[in-house]
Amino acid sequence: MKNIFKQTGVLVLILLFSMASITTINAQTNDQKLTYVKVEVKGLACPFCAYGLEKKLKDLDGVESIKIDVEEGLVYLTVFKSKKPLKEKLEKIVTDAGFTPSSIVFSKKSFTLKDEN
Amino acid sequence: MNRLIIITLGVFSTLNVFAQGPPITTETPIMLGLEGNGIRTFGKFISKENANIYVQPMAIPYNITSKFQIGGIFPFKFITPKGAETTGGFADMTVFAKYQLYKKDGKAKTFRILGMVKQTFPTGKTSSSPAIGSGLYQTYVGLVIGKLTAKKGLYADFGYNMTNKDSSDNFLYNFSLGVPLLPHKYPQKQLNTFLEFNGNYVFDSKVHTVFISPGFQFIPGRRILFEISLQIPIVQNNSTTNKTNYMVLLGTRFLIN
Repeated sequence: MKNIFKQTGVLVLILLFSMASITTINAQTNDQKLTYVKVEVKGLACPFCAYGLEKKLKDLDGVESIKIDVEEGLVYLTVFKSKKPLKEKLEKIVTDAGFTPSSIVFSKKSFTLKDEN
Repeated sequence: MNRLIIITLGVFSTLNVFAQGPPITTETPIMLGLEGNGIRTFGKFISKENANIYVQPMAIPYNITSKFQIGGIFPFKFITPKGAETTGGFADMTVFAKYQLYKKDGKAKTFRILGMVKQTFPTGKTSSSPAIGSGLYQTYVGLVIGKLTAKKGLYADFGYNMTNKDSSDNFLYNFSLGVPLLPHKYPQKQLNTFLEFNGNYVFDSKVHTVFISPGFQFIPGRRILFEISLQIPIVQNNSTTNKTNYMVLLGTRFLIN
């Protein structure tokens, strides 16, 4: 009986370890493929104005996802590394959408959003 | 008493955390998304002492650039005088242009000033009784000012309206304060409340009217909003019997692309 518990315990541990490894490998694979961009947008003061900016950024080639934090005036982009946009291109999109671009930060690691804390 | 003060401060501090949406009866200087760039239509019921009026305009804006917008307003109007039949049809159409004169953006805040020109044409019929159109060409030149922060939003517009023929010119002005009732996030459902004032001063007759206009706005998604406003006269010094009792506006704005 003891042996059965032992064997089951070992199996569960192996399973958990495998799952953790797969998740880490997936995250590493994603990090290898993707680049994360944080754009500070001045003038982004209302949720209703954000639509035009979101639409223009979605049209960018290689954009995987967009998140907008209106309270902080920040736009988070996840883009494929192979199609990483130029800083000047992003600034032009923000300006054309009617806002003022501020800092633009590129990162290999994803940014932690306020809501995710 | 202390508890009441704390609750009151709590409610106001909560309200002040969030920004609000486009005003209902005041122009907006922000020509982005639903805040200025959405196609707009509303039904407006006007109760007067001697008639009931229903107006249904459709406003179609088009952004040439993020600083320059043109558009047209195409209204239908139906008038039912007391004890008489309804007369209705296409009323006076208006074309407009707005240009951003000044913009100061900051973190989650913006201050903008627009110049606005409107030209109204006498497209409504004047042969009927009562007349649907004014029979006048009208040219409006004005400014739209707005300050929007994460804490509060104030809007104002004012301008001079010139008429041809012997009709009097008038000065129009509107103020708006909007407060959101739901958290300030995107995309998310929004519920906003407004308190607005709408004034009109006619020079020749020296008639001055001011309406107080509380309203609500519901935004269920990125591309559509619904709004309602009640306009009640607080100043109305015309001596005629044709005074306005109240006006109710029920409308929507939406983005096609």
